[in-house]
Amino acid sequence: MKCKLMSLGLAALLPLAAAAQPNFSGKTVTIIVGYKAGGGYDATARLLARHLPKHIPGKPTVIVQNMPGANSIIAANHIYNVAKPDGLTIGTFNRNLPIAQLTKVEGVKFDITKFQWVGSAANESTILAIRTDLPYKTFDELRKAKQTVVIGSTGPGANTHDFPLLLKELLGLNFKIVSGYSSSADIMLAVERKEVDGRAGSYTSLRPFIDRGLVRPIVRARSTEPGIDKLPADEDAAPNARAKAIMALRSAPEQVARPYVLPPATPAEIVKVMRDAFAKAIQDPELDAEGKKAKLDLEYLPGDQAQKILVQVLQQPQDIVAEFSKYIKFGE
Amino acid sequence: MSEALLEGLVLVLQWKALAFMMLGIVLGFWVGLLPGLGGATTLALMLPFIYNMQPVEAFAFLLGMHAVTATTGDITSVLFGVPGEAASAATILDGHAMAKNGEAGRALGAVLASSLVGALVGAAALALAVPVVRPLVLTFGSPELFMLAIVGLAFIASLSSHGGRGLVRGFLAGLLGLLVSTVGQDPQAGVARYTFDSLYLWQGLDLVPILVGIFAIPEIIELAARGTSIAGSLPAGRISRGALEGVKDTFRHFWLTIRCSLIGTFIGIMPGLGGSVAQWMAYGHAAQSARTAEERKRFGAGDVRGVLGPGAANNSKEGGSLIPTVAFGVPGSTAMAILLGGFVLLGLVPGPDMLSKHLSVTYSMVWTIVLANVVTVVVCFLFLDQLARLTGVRGSILIPLILVLVFVGSYTSNNHYGDMVATLAFGAIGYLMVLAGWPRAPFVLGLVLGKIAENYLYISIARYEAAWLTRPVVLVLIVIAIAVIIYPLFQARRKAAHA
Repeated sequence: MKCKLMSLGLAALLPLAAAAQPNFSGKTVTIIVGYKAGGGYDATARLLARHLPKHIPGKPTVIVQNMPGANSIIAANHIYNVAKPDGLTIGTFNRNLPIAQLTKVEGVKFDITKFQWVGSAANESTILAIRTDLPYKTFDELRKAKQTVVIGSTGPGANTHDFPLLLKELLGLNFKIVSGYSSSADIMLAVERKEVDGRAGSYTSLRPFIDRGLVRPIVRARSTEPGIDKLPADEDAAPNARAKAIMALRSAPEQVARPYVLPPATPAEIVKVMRDAFAKAIQDPELDAEGKKAKLDLEYLPGDQAQKILVQVLQQPQDIVAEFSKYIKFGE
Repeated sequence: MSEALLEGLVLVLQWKALAFMMLGIVLGFWVGLLPGLGGATTLALMLPFIYNMQPVEAFAFLLGMHAVTATTGDITSVLFGVPGEAASAATILDGHAMAKNGEAGRALGAVLASSLVGALVGAAALALAVPVVRPLVLTFGSPELFMLAIVGLAFIASLSSHGGRGLVRGFLAGLLGLLVSTVGQDPQAGVARYTFDSLYLWQGLDLVPILVGIFAIPEIIELAARGTSIAGSLPAGRISRGALEGVKDTFRHFWLTIRCSLIGTFIGIMPGLGGSVAQWMAYGHAAQSARTAEERKRFGAGDVRGVLGPGAANNSKEGGSLIPTVAFGVPGSTAMAILLGGFVLLGLVPGPDMLSKHLSVTYSMVWTIVLANVVTVVVCFLFLDQLARLTGVRGSILIPLILVLVFVGSYTSNNHYGDMVATLAFGAIGYLMVLAGWPRAPFVLGLVLGKIAENYLYISIARYEAAWLTRPVVLVLIVIAIAVIIYPLFQARRKAAHA
């Protein structure tokens, strides 16, 4: 109720803010990251912070602030309810927050579709890879596997877990999923010592091990990129529409893998300025060169398109949501 | 190999690399001294600055910074009883007790000298172990890592006071630590445990607010109640003396220092155990060296061996944890995971190439660790007098400063007010434990090993069912765990027989 009142109050201020042409000269824009320093979300934000200023009118200083906790829910709640809608606070958080909202996770105090979406700075392609010394070379062979294939995972809510889980539950693959590894690097080590047979994860993180000949990519989710586009997609093997919808639902947030948002009441002019700045910064050859070095492949998805994808996620019929929640828990 | 070793040294000694290393050391010096702000976080913040550096310069900068945080973190632990780094909390037990006995100088001397020994052992291990590390790391699967955690927990026996009552208290404190480590969403079913609908608790409690609370708050209360300086009413002149004595102590107990360095290196090499475990196992091992009940009582009350053990281990683990990072691209700790990002930025691929094509870069890392630690220890010795005199400053002046450090320090872990609440809550628990004579070390051991033990036990059973119990290394570790538990009892009996 309180937050409703607040946004009403802010809405009343809108015309005032709209009158002036946004100019950020001498100001400081803060990007709030819903994770601690050091991870992929943080690295992307820091890369953007270095290159955004020259594309925003008035060349403001852009800094990064970490607000970790509850898999980003704390940060998202803050940007939705507390941050001023003046364009000086941008948020980036867990791509799976739409899933948290969909499955009604306690503590969610935002509507993901009502943020002012700047867009997504990257997409992510999830694949499953298994050891090259296993007898299965293709997805079809793996589906017919007689022996149980052991898949290592970090835990529910992560793509290392949820992607193979749906392959097992909906497509009937003969998997045993062992969870609790502390990172995907740890699972890789378990693959090397043959404790597990394979793992799922982003193509970027698995690529070095594929190149080294340790593992072979077998199947991918919907979102794709050059190098894996010839792999079969999990959805194409779905036995019915329902299974397909559930797999599509799991992979939808991967198209909005690095979400960037502004508080809901942010004036349209400021949103436009930020969308333009992100679009230009991500095409900036300097940023591209640095991103390539850091193995961060950025690709801009405009805010309106990101929002459209998430509206679709949240419009699922109740029965699909109910079945989806049986398998998938929000996390990471 | 010796050629590459020399080449590595030459690379580090180039003026640009050396200058970056010095810059790193200066940064790391402060990061280590200040509680909360940790080496890993600072590495993440500094990563963007290496884009335009050469590999050797970048590693001289990053490693130089990281290598000294554990050393200067120990200084804060000794002087104020506030852990400068999560990895230097164990130094508080005896180091700060020595400071309160007016032996701050000796404790600092000992911690610095043992840190240097530890760093050298770790660096030597990195230089020597590189060719044989692969089979070693691959031998330790999840069942073996679980058993290592159990061996670690077995050290509770030597961290508790003598007698049945002491052991029961020790293990109960350990269990409380295990319980606290379960807070948060569990990685198997995704169930939220003990979160009481609080978003802050969702991802579990952070180590820093707990350590800062449980160790620093009781010290502050005690200092306020006494109304004197940390070192009581001893004259300042006496406090700063004895640094040389501390260095001599390191050589008096040289084998202990070396053994603890090796423990640190080994824990560092094992990916998945984490950086804060090594110091506690080393402390447990140091406590085992007490021969009599009287000697045992001195542990926690200012025995220099309790300073040497963790002082050495938290430095030697750095060289150790670089080994799997370089050889496999699998980081041995959080800091190393971030350093791995540095490898990628520089276009280096961790793995076999680092041991052949880029061997001189690998060896330049060894030299960076060695040089950074030598420089830091020498500089610290120059200022040691002034540092030690801080324990002679009146409590009423010191307490506000320490309180600021404590709360700012714990707030840096999540930037959330929950960090402060956690610090206060665990401060209260720590104070009660001190009042009632319950040991705090087993609690922390349970806390740092809880998640590791839980996850690897789950994986072991899910993957191998009961068969994991029959793996040879597991059996050996079971025997070691039992030996560690009955050793103090055996010692007590032998003592009784002699008397």
